[in-house]
Amino acid sequence: MRRVNVLALVLATLVGAPAAVFGQWLRYPTADVPRKADGTPNLTAPTPRLPDGKPDFSGIWHTAVKIPCTAEFARFIECGSEIGGSPVALNFGTDLKGGLPYQPWAAEVAKQRAADFSRDDPHVRCLPDNPPRPWGMPHLTKAVHTPKLLVLLYEVNAMYRQIFVDGRPLPQDLNPTWNGYSVARWEGDALVVQTAGFRDSLWIDMGGSPMSDAAKMTERIRRPNFGTLELEITIDDSKVYTRPFTVKMRQGLEVDTELVDEFCLENEKSYERMQRTRGK
Amino acid sequence: MSRVAALALTAVMCATSVVAAQWLKYPTDSIPRKPDGKPDLTAPAPRLPDGKPDLSGLWHATQGRTCENSRGEARPCGIEIGGSPLGGNLGRNLPGGKLPYQPWAEKLMNERHAVNSIDDPHVRCLPDNPPRHWTLPHLTKAIHSPKLLVLLYEVNAMYRQVFIDGRPFPQDMNPTWNGYSVGHWEGDTLVVETRGFRDDLWADTWGSPMSDAAKMTEKFHRKNFGTMEIALTIDDPKVYTKPFTVLLNESIEPDTELVDEFCAEGEKDYERLQRSRGK
Repeated sequence: MRRVNVLALVLATLVGAPAAVFGQWLRYPTADVPRKADGTPNLTAPTPRLPDGKPDFSGIWHTAVKIPCTAEFARFIECGSEIGGSPVALNFGTDLKGGLPYQPWAAEVAKQRAADFSRDDPHVRCLPDNPPRPWGMPHLTKAVHTPKLLVLLYEVNAMYRQIFVDGRPLPQDLNPTWNGYSVARWEGDALVVQTAGFRDSLWIDMGGSPMSDAAKMTERIRRPNFGTLELEITIDDSKVYTRPFTVKMRQGLEVDTELVDEFCLENEKSYERMQRTRGK
Repeated sequence: MSRVAALALTAVMCATSVVAAQWLKYPTDSIPRKPDGKPDLTAPAPRLPDGKPDLSGLWHATQGRTCENSRGEARPCGIEIGGSPLGGNLGRNLPGGKLPYQPWAEKLMNERHAVNSIDDPHVRCLPDNPPRHWTLPHLTKAIHSPKLLVLLYEVNAMYRQVFIDGRPFPQDMNPTWNGYSVGHWEGDTLVVETRGFRDDLWADTWGSPMSDAAKMTEKFHRKNFGTMEIALTIDDPKVYTKPFTVLLNESIEPDTELVDEFCAEGEKDYERLQRSRGK
């Protein structure tokens, strides 16, 4: 029940999106997608490669494991009118035995945030979605991959994240940011992305699980075939969690579509109204 | 003028504190260098695998402003990274020193300018629509592949996409801050056309309007490694009596990197600026 209430808030922040889904340009065929004889995309075709022979992650991605449409879910929004989103977006530890290994104080914070219907979620306030959240949100991520740089373009607030693959080390004295600073190296066909330099006040899921400025995040990214991206996300944040943990996610390729600008900051009124309902 | 400049500076003050951040000093890969290790910015423009000019790089308006020391001698401006004088008045180099406004649009621009541009979307941390990025004192990172040009901006960590894959304009575009941009090559010049803008945009800090009827064309010519020229044409019959073309110049910024400048959180300027209205 508590989860459903959180969901309701999540959904409330998304109702702007369906109107944009009908934008005409969403139907333009994606270039360079292998197709079957009948013209439909062949998503099990081999992984595309960069000029240097490494896997090319370019493409538009969205979680392949979607929030199931249950009767409770359908009370808030018609099934099928949303593009999905991952259960991991609601609770990052949903697949972990015993859930996320919170420190006691962090378990208390997450519990309070959930009891408070996630009113203070930065996402609901149109503030940036920090990693790892975009991988689970019901929004598309466009990867633009060159041999030395991986750029992830997001729909929400038309924001991006850069991952440097040029051999640079993590800087010593990082400005705390929403995205952190990401550097990557190849281990065979897996790109291992390390991120540090996060702000101290981040959420990693809608349930309100905290992430601190002590967090080090590692994303192991593989593209086993044309249509699939596999992620193993490890978060090591000793201020918030008793031990590092690893969550697996899978992304599916979205073809013949394009990102839409979803700029929600202008005239944002939800936050103030939700604050007024606090405790009611 | 100076008051508007002061407002614009207020909006970018946050940037100066982070300029000392460590990662800004990392050497840029693939920059041609002279024997002494300094970037050779007059080397030839790089090329994409298909032979077309590669516009990739970190760009900033070629500095047009200079500052003076106490003896009245020109010196580089210190605390700000620059920005083009055209960021204030996009028409400053045109005959008469202004854009060819329709009368109502000139009146609106004058009203906005008279209240120190306190309604400028940029000051409120709303998106900087094209063509403003090319003139603001922030860096733009171009990532160019044969079929896509992506422009990454520092302000609110936003981006713009330019499709170079031959697609036509969609028939029924959602009005957006960025508009919808498609590009094609004319020789070594990338011609980018943009439509589908919102109806209430500002084209410069003084407040020159741009409407949803606007058709924008940018002709990009990377003259050498370090320099890019942009011939910008705006055809917006709702706002202007005729199309106009403005020349913009961008320079490569080597050995640095974008910083996230997310200013929307806890933004208080707008409310305070509104309270100053009419005082």
